[in-house]
Amino acid sequence: MNAVIQKIGVYLPETVLTNDALAREFEDWNSEKVEKRAGIRERHVAGENETALDLAEKACRDVLRDEDPESVDFVILCTQSPEYYLPTGACILQDRLGLSVRTGALDISLGCSGFVYGLALAKSFMASDTADRVLLVTSDVMTRHLHPRDRANRTIFGDGAAATLVGRSDREGILNFSLGTDGSGFRNLIVPNGGMRHRYDPDAPDIADGFGGTRTDNHLYMNGPEIFNFTIDAVPKTVADVLEKNEMTLEDVDYVIFHQANKYMVEYLRKKIGIPHEKFYLNMLYTGNTVSATIPIGLNDVMKQGIVKPGDTVLVSGFGVGYSWGATIIKI
Amino acid sequence: MKKTEFYDLLMDTLEIESVDAVDESTDLTDLEEYDSLAVLSLIAMIDEHFSKRIPGTDFQKITTVQSLMDMIGAGSFES
Amino acid sequence: MNGACIRKIEVCLPRKVLDNVELESIYEGWSAEKIEKKTGIRSRHVAGAHETAVDLAYGAAKRLLDSLESRERNSVDFLLLCTQSPDYYLPPGSCMLQDRLGLPHSTGALDYNLGCSGFIYGLAMARGLIRSGTASSVLLITSETYTRHIHAMDRSNRTIFGDAAAATLVCASESDCILEFALGTDGSGYQNLIVPAGGLRKRYNPMAGTAEDPPGSLRTENDLYMNGPEVFNFTIEAVPEVIRQCMEKNRSALDQMDYVIFHQANKYMLNHLRKKMDIPEEKYYMHMLDVGNTVSATIPIALKDSLERGLVRPGNQVLLVGFGVGYSWGATVVKIKD
Repeated sequence: MNAVIQKIGVYLPETVLTNDALAREFEDWNSEKVEKRAGIRERHVAGENETALDLAEKACRDVLRDEDPESVDFVILCTQSPEYYLPTGACILQDRLGLSVRTGALDISLGCSGFVYGLALAKSFMASDTADRVLLVTSDVMTRHLHPRDRANRTIFGDGAAATLVGRSDREGILNFSLGTDGSGFRNLIVPNGGMRHRYDPDAPDIADGFGGTRTDNHLYMNGPEIFNFTIDAVPKTVADVLEKNEMTLEDVDYVIFHQANKYMVEYLRKKIGIPHEKFYLNMLYTGNTVSATIPIGLNDVMKQGIVKPGDTVLVSGFGVGYSWGATIIKI
Repeated sequence: MKKTEFYDLLMDTLEIESVDAVDESTDLTDLEEYDSLAVLSLIAMIDEHFSKRIPGTDFQKITTVQSLMDMIGAGSFES
Repeated sequence: MNGACIRKIEVCLPRKVLDNVELESIYEGWSAEKIEKKTGIRSRHVAGAHETAVDLAYGAAKRLLDSLESRERNSVDFLLLCTQSPDYYLPPGSCMLQDRLGLPHSTGALDYNLGCSGFIYGLAMARGLIRSGTASSVLLITSETYTRHIHAMDRSNRTIFGDAAAATLVCASESDCILEFALGTDGSGYQNLIVPAGGLRKRYNPMAGTAEDPPGSLRTENDLYMNGPEVFNFTIEAVPEVIRQCMEKNRSALDQMDYVIFHQANKYMLNHLRKKMDIPEEKYYMHMLDVGNTVSATIPIALKDSLERGLVRPGNQVLLVGFGVGYSWGATVVKIKD
């Protein structure tokens, strides 16, 4: 009946984009300052022919290395850089990984809140006996949505994939959720062209972003200030809500992992909510913001380093594009 | 908040090193420190010290320190 | 309150209609009657130039919400949107719908990508979210504008597919009316029903050249390609097997089902499957006369129609089966609430 996170696999593309390389590309771009404020020294960038599905496959192979692929009976692929409109990426993944044809598979389209929603679905499938072992894959190649001259977003975003195995357990491993949506902000983090609303347009004109950067409507537009405003409001509320739903206080939580948006934003949220430094994850130095993969990458990191130990409770929260947000509490 | 305090706060928030001091006539967009991340630090500073929220697109209208103070609200400052 | 039940279904069809007479005038050597006889389709609805899957989804969801009493309307706390014709890569359409429908910020929302199996998977998610206590009332919307993916001169696909959205309200209830699921996937057939360009594997290319494939139909790499025979082969294998699994999981048998609704792919395929599975005609839904194949919306459209026409009655057990693109398939049994 209960669901628990069993294992996490991660894959980062081989190509690394360093601050020094960005500094060579962009004038007045200070590599040390960026590291200090954004908290990022380098980010991984998918190769020209490497898609989110390719990264997803590699992260899955990592997590399934010593596992029986037949034990997986559901695949959820969370991405905003889909292979095709149709078919579904998760179906292709089933075949590439050699999973049983009795595996359920679907893609979900969510950004930075995707991992939390994915956990909610995985837990739900177990609660309803629809699945026994869910492979939750969060994979994005956000850099594919970025204009080469968009220095602000190229600084922040990196590509990456995480594959999380969620299985059954006698004990509760994934507690109650707080989820939310505010679509009134949908225009503040958007790729305007490429879907059915407006087709991808190879001739789309350049647009200046006001900070020396350039994009077109085929590329990601992020209204950074508005997104920050939204997170300042939404994240403290969702943290309070998830604690209430689980009848806990912040003191009962051993560790907190937020979506690693950028150091400045995440650190500000920590202070505002009053989370002690030593209980708080802040590390995007070598990955940047990998969208829905940041939380499992962080979780994997702290479990491997022994920063969180078996039995610990970890509060995770994702927030961003949509707007969409969510939080839950995990027992390791 | 006293305006002079606010100028110091700005120096601090934006980690300004390219000039020795700012006042109401300083054009923020001329400062090399003023970039997209600097705007985030302004939002954090305004939230922390003034408990106010300024619509994201309004930040594009900011030029001088005075224009920033106008946006926060003249009532928040004393000379 | 750990059970989940289908409470209500509403449908939104685009205003624009493409009938066989119009198709006849486009395609030389075709007669409107022949098309209807062969496909069981007389007309289909086609989204307007500025009408997207989110717009249709809004239409269906709004109609459904407006028909509810305020207590029930206010209880909606999760929104699922199934589509393969999304408005944007990002943000998700379900988030835009939360705002357009005026649902509270505490609503969970996500988009998922599936085709003809989408409604079945959506029911599985809705039931799971309710069972796990994550949600109490789920608005499941399946909305598709496949005609956007079809070349103007692709006469076989233009004949078959139509656009539509269905909104289904799944609520927590004392008794369980959505029973066990059998789900499956075989990605080895992914190239047999595909829009090759438009995602990030290959960008949409306005200059893409046309090819004649299958004979008599034109398409570019931006358009839907369906290997009809291969998809049919897959269906003949997968559908009987998933029904067997579903009956096993529900400790039931096909002849105990009061009614059967398959994804309304096309008349020929449906006839063949019915005969192969020995399902009596009077227990078998087959009706796509004025909608065509609306992908993930066919099953809720059919279920609503069956309820309204009294083909299924309170207390009935109805087998639902979806199958197609991916390949992906799923089956479940729903009990009609007394």
